[in-house]
Amino acid sequence: MLLLVAPAALVLVCFQIIPIFIGMNASFRDWSLVNPAKTWIGLKHYRDVLSDPVFLYTVLPNTFMLMVSSVVLSLASGLGLALLLNKPFFGRPVVRTVILLPLTVAPVITATMIRWSFNDQFGVITNLLSVLGFPEIGWLSDKWPSFSLIILTDVWIWAPWFTIIILAALQGLPREPFEAAQIDASGKWRTFTHITLPMLKPVIIVCVLIRSIDAFRTFDQVWILTGGGPARETEVFSVYAYVEAFVHLDYGKGAAAAGLGALIMLVVGIGLYKLVNRLMEVSR
Amino acid sequence: MTVEPFTLPIARPGPTMFERFAPGAWRVFIGLVIVAVLMIFIAPVAILIVTSIRPASGIYYIWRGTEFTLQNYVEVLQQPQILHAMFNSFVMATLATVVSLGVTVGSGYMLSRFTGRIQKTWFATIYVFRTVPYISFVLPLYLVTTNLRIYDTYLGLLLPHIAVHVCFFSWLMKGFFDSINPSMEHAALIDGCTRWGAFRRVALPSAMPGIAALSILSWLWTWNEFLFALILTGQRTPMITSTMAQFVTETGTEWNLMSATAVLAMLPALLVTIFGQKYVIRGLRM
Amino acid sequence: MAEVILKSVGKAYGSHPVVHDVSLTIADNEFVVLVGPSGCGKSTTLRMVAGLESISSGTIQIGNKVVNDLPPKDRDIAMVFQNYALYQHMTVYDNLAFGLRNRRVDEATIKKEVEHATNILGLAPLLSRKPFQLSGGQQQRVALGRCIVRHPQVFLFDEPLSNLDAKLRAQMRIELKALRERVATTSIYVTHDQVEAMTLGDRVVVMKDGYIQQVGTPLDIYNRPKNRFVASFMGSPAMNFINVDLIEEGGRTRAVAKDLSIAVPERQVASLSGHGNRSVILGIRPEHIHLGAPAEDLGTTFRGELTVTEQLGSELVVGTKVADTLIMASRIAPETELKLHEHAPFWVDPKAIHFFDSKTEAAIR
Ligand SMILES: Nc1ncnc2c1ncn2[C@@H]1O[C@H](COP(=O)(O)OP(=O)(O)OP(=O)(O)O)[C@@H](O)[C@H]1O
Ligand SMILES: [Mg+2]
Repeated sequence: MLLLVAPAALVLVCFQIIPIFIGMNASFRDWSLVNPAKTWIGLKHYRDVLSDPVFLYTVLPNTFMLMVSSVVLSLASGLGLALLLNKPFFGRPVVRTVILLPLTVAPVITATMIRWSFNDQFGVITNLLSVLGFPEIGWLSDKWPSFSLIILTDVWIWAPWFTIIILAALQGLPREPFEAAQIDASGKWRTFTHITLPMLKPVIIVCVLIRSIDAFRTFDQVWILTGGGPARETEVFSVYAYVEAFVHLDYGKGAAAAGLGALIMLVVGIGLYKLVNRLMEVSR
Repeated sequence: MTVEPFTLPIARPGPTMFERFAPGAWRVFIGLVIVAVLMIFIAPVAILIVTSIRPASGIYYIWRGTEFTLQNYVEVLQQPQILHAMFNSFVMATLATVVSLGVTVGSGYMLSRFTGRIQKTWFATIYVFRTVPYISFVLPLYLVTTNLRIYDTYLGLLLPHIAVHVCFFSWLMKGFFDSINPSMEHAALIDGCTRWGAFRRVALPSAMPGIAALSILSWLWTWNEFLFALILTGQRTPMITSTMAQFVTETGTEWNLMSATAVLAMLPALLVTIFGQKYVIRGLRM
Repeated sequence: MAEVILKSVGKAYGSHPVVHDVSLTIADNEFVVLVGPSGCGKSTTLRMVAGLESISSGTIQIGNKVVNDLPPKDRDIAMVFQNYALYQHMTVYDNLAFGLRNRRVDEATIKKEVEHATNILGLAPLLSRKPFQLSGGQQQRVALGRCIVRHPQVFLFDEPLSNLDAKLRAQMRIELKALRERVATTSIYVTHDQVEAMTLGDRVVVMKDGYIQQVGTPLDIYNRPKNRFVASFMGSPAMNFINVDLIEEGGRTRAVAKDLSIAVPERQVASLSGHGNRSVILGIRPEHIHLGAPAEDLGTTFRGELTVTEQLGSELVVGTKVADTLIMASRIAPETELKLHEHAPFWVDPKAIHFFDSKTEAAIR
């Protein structure tokens, strides 16, 4: 029986668990890529990261802001889309197919598309907006527009995921409670809030958990869209660690940041897991 | 105890806002929403595709002008690096899918069918390691692969890919096997199959639809993966995503060529969306 | 409280008709049971009354109002579903109150109504529980309570007991009967269980393939089935059917088959005369076939080899092969000593002999 997990466990240990320890080891040393003296310097890197204003006041807030806004917005739009697709209408198969695009196209390409569509001079959407009379926005040159673009891209990618899962759940719901609600004179909105949502709650909670964990490590979209700029203002945690290690060539500091991220995620992950279990209890 | 019967006020919510506003307006509204949804999801892809077939001079205002050309594709495909990258991504995606599925099918089966200390520990492990941000082990993996002299080789990228798949796929595989009634295997055992035979000849074929769906998604995910490719590969074994990213972030002006590259990189996704949507949906619902 | 009138009601899914021309008048406070085999359109008919299914043709009237185009909430009906359809995430109290709250009833009245209903149903200690913490029977009671609090004009039941185990079903059947006394309301009850139909209904409607076969009081349906289907559907074990020829013999008409010759009772001779020498179907309920010999000569005796015996404790059921048909006889004293494959004498109660046309299967009376 051990044989069944052995290969999986072996790969996991060698290429995920051991590297994490190597990374921790590196984070305690002056392990610069250009100057591999590798002197033991204790917690210095951690102190550096934790006293780095970029990390504290830009990266951390950005990361959590991206996590929360992306999850909330994709959940809301994904849920709306699922409700729409739950009713038959002309062209529904087309919509169902089209919403798979974001899930199959590489985030790198998606980010490229968005970046091109919002190009300051030649972007189709930029031009469309100015034709419609909106004031000009430096989409990729100011912090908040760039950050909204990152969020938008994330929502574009992940809303369909919520849609597909919630749609499957919707179609699996028993019909009778809705009929009983109809007889009980429950209006459309009240049925949604009092019957549909509570029945979807378990699915939604699990989706939010998975998405939140994944949203924390967002890298591709941010890297392609803004590269963390302008002036490191849209950096999120993964980008920060990468930039410290490979752009500033301070490997130890990057590893320390990555380690801190893992630690935060462990706490957040366990917390969310506990929360989910609690919510599931209540919602049963 | 008796209660006097009373007449219930009959609930008669008036017409909805839209019905009052104009009959049929609700349907028009829904129609507009549907069109908007289609636009939102098609537009970026369409813009990219149109850009890729415009001549270099025509990309700046792609909605003007009617010249179209395949020259961009010719040019891109003449660059050995891009062909090389696409080939590498193809090999990597295929290898990673085959090996990851092979490695995780057993662990998923075990998680689903047996209970005990090992299973509990293993399940907790894969849950915990699913939460670890990729960057936290890819950064050190750079050191590991360099030291093992497998940096910038297939192997150096393959093993980390499998390592991340291990957690997630074991979880999904457990789900596949959970949904198969074990009594079938019990019947097979009684009919003289060994435990291994019951797994191979009864459980595995029943789990096949799910595994097929997962293999398609796994292939796409590996093809689409960027962070590993960025950190763990260089000039020798470039991947399509990292090559594209280099285009975008470093040179960043030849949008016609970039779009052509992106469309090429997007082809598998388009094919799967159109022809394999059943599998994508099934895979994602798990 | 109201009358429910169905006039030529029909239902088709696309071009596929499932209910045909159903006409039925249900009196105020009457309890009507729709019974029939699976897929015969009972639920569809009930759901058309509820407004959950559109009506393809005909009209449905509830209390003098044609309700064809009214949504369920405006029909003033309440419904109990087979799987209870309780709101899983609400407490029992909220489940009961939901329909009233939607109708903007004030909380004080709701409280009073819920108390009233829970007293009737014995749910008081369960009010703060959620449905998944209740047993099947308790859930079904909550579903009933949800109807009672509403004081609707009509109760609709769609196989409310079929998810319960046999013992609980019998108990709930008795409770339902008692409930009818306390909460008198026009009711339509769908079931495929003939025992429920017999015990609960003021009148029973037997359906098959979307057509009404017969409407009548339970006893009427049992004793005077209109056709072979109704006769076979009601009663357990089912009625025996034997293809017989009608033969004149010594001034008496006899129904004859291989190994069998039964004198046709005088009162039935006239109606059968139209059938001349044609073959007809003889129908006899198992409980009307007795073992042994009758006190006087009735001309309805036959002998047969015992091929099946079923000891039920309270009675003995035996089967005998006569005229190539397995004939069942029930209500035989359980202590009777019988050996399999021995030949035994039987006699038929002449008051309970049915004949059916062999082509149309309609009862010949
Ligand atoms: N939505 C539908 N579309 C097409 N046919 C349907 C639909 N719903 C029911 N039917 C068909 O209508 C017929 C009557 O169904 P109905 O549910 O009324 O049967 P029933 O008498 O209640 O049977 P049961 O005892 O199994 O509940 C069946 O043959 C069924 O296949
Ligand atoms: Mg039914």
